[in-house]
Amino acid sequence: MESGSPVSKKSRLFRSVDCEMEEVPSNAVDMNLSLHWTQWQILDSILPTGGFAHSYGLEAAMQSRMVNNQEDLKSFVIQVLDNTGSLLLPFVYCASKSPDAAAWVRLDQLLEATLTNEVARKASTSQGSALLRVAASVFTEVQALQDLRRTFLGSKSVSFHHAPIFGLICGLIDSETAQRAYMFVTMRDVFSVATRLNLIGPLAASVLQHQVAPDAERMMQKWRDRDISAASQTAPLLDALQGCHAYSRLFCS
Amino acid sequence: MAEAATGAVRVEKVRGRSALTRCFARYPLKLIAPSKVGPYSCDAVWLYALTYGGGIVSGDTISCTVSVGDGCTAAFTTQASTKVYKAVGSKCSEQLLEARVGEDALLAVIPDPVTCFSTARYHQKQVFQVSANSNLVVVDWFTSGRYESGEKWDFSFYKSVNHIFLGDQPLFIDSTLLEQGSNYSIAERMQEYNVIVMVVLLGPKLRHIQDKMQDEMKKLMSGQLRPPTSGGSLYTMRSKPPQRPQRPPLIASCSPFGRTGTGMVARVAAVSMELAYSFLRHHLAALEPFLGASPYAAS
Repeated sequence: MESGSPVSKKSRLFRSVDCEMEEVPSNAVDMNLSLHWTQWQILDSILPTGGFAHSYGLEAAMQSRMVNNQEDLKSFVIQVLDNTGSLLLPFVYCASKSPDAAAWVRLDQLLEATLTNEVARKASTSQGSALLRVAASVFTEVQALQDLRRTFLGSKSVSFHHAPIFGLICGLIDSETAQRAYMFVTMRDVFSVATRLNLIGPLAASVLQHQVAPDAERMMQKWRDRDISAASQTAPLLDALQGCHAYSRLFCS
Repeated sequence: MAEAATGAVRVEKVRGRSALTRCFARYPLKLIAPSKVGPYSCDAVWLYALTYGGGIVSGDTISCTVSVGDGCTAAFTTQASTKVYKAVGSKCSEQLLEARVGEDALLAVIPDPVTCFSTARYHQKQVFQVSANSNLVVVDWFTSGRYESGEKWDFSFYKSVNHIFLGDQPLFIDSTLLEQGSNYSIAERMQEYNVIVMVVLLGPKLRHIQDKMQDEMKKLMSGQLRPPTSGGSLYTMRSKPPQRPQRPPLIASCSPFGRTGTGMVARVAAVSMELAYSFLRHHLAALEPFLGASPYAAS
């Protein structure tokens, strides 16, 4: 395969300096176009990563009457996205910048200590494990994913949190869009939960999703490219509520 | 930090009892160590941190180091809510705490809440270095402001960072940030709630308190949370007259942390300080045997 394709990126995991990146314009364009298909697959809700088991605290927010209608839902989504940006984007960003095993382990352990909300923590490890399993099976040209999975499966030192794995995968494929993609899949999942909880119909959800997109972009720009030391949570009320999730009927978390 | 610190405290065993062997403070911090807080049978040192003027002025930094030796017990508290005055330009008011908790020791950081005035900017960082069987209680809480006078979530910037390390290993890394934003103001995000509380409990001596707190909060909240009526369907709700749904005046939940679950963090949102004080008083009453007095006792 030509240099610059995803195959050459596999060696980044083990810091090999052997591969050379040849600048061949027409091949670069081909690679760029084929990347789109991979990116779209990562963003497609049909990828079986189990995102729909997690309600992001929406179920508890509805049960406590914090979210009762479409207007409340819009506010809720924006707060979740703001919190995702400030708390989790640093992990996505740092993982995508250094998609190697050592950096990933450090990020995963730090996120384990940072996700102090048990509900969010469990959801993160469940989504992260599923995503890694699926990505390793689907994007077989990225050998690093299978290697990572094989090395750490069953290890007590890592938890397979979602944000670093998402960043790692994007970093191995195309790091430019990792942070926006992470905001997108979060937004996508919250709207999906809202329809499953019967708070909003699927068409109205799509209308609202499009309306919220400029806010999501603005928040992505606000919180992008930050160091993990800057990770903060910005929605303490929702955090307290999300922790109450033990009584749910529909969602695991 | 020791050289530039505003305050430094050291508690060590002297003749078998917890004793204050160092207590240094300079303006704007004042430390008071009353000698008789609890009964003699109780081995605990109490420290009150006060600021001249009762609050922190914009641009001031108050930093303190606390060291609790092996087997010692110490309580670190305040006399009143810490007021954070309005910001001058973009300057922040800052409080920094670095604490080391020894083997089998207990440190309880149980202050009154922080109250940020209109336009105030506040940053707080607390770093705790613990040993394998250290015990730690940290209450970190803040209000919406002088809300009874109508000043509600009117500050500009609030950031509180709490880190707990076991050696090099991060056990608990939390940072809460509230900043007035373009989308929704802090007030819009916080709704009718005026107090946010975080309680961290860590260590073998506090196991039973953690368990009891967990059970009681579960019972409290399951009574408050109900599934939405008619499956929460938007379609049926449109025809109903608009009415404010009943929301719990206090929301509380907790999560374990740490590989072996030795720690627990509780998060609370309450509509009033009275409710929050009552919550803390009730759940931390079990600390009395350790500290000699119950935290947040009604005066």
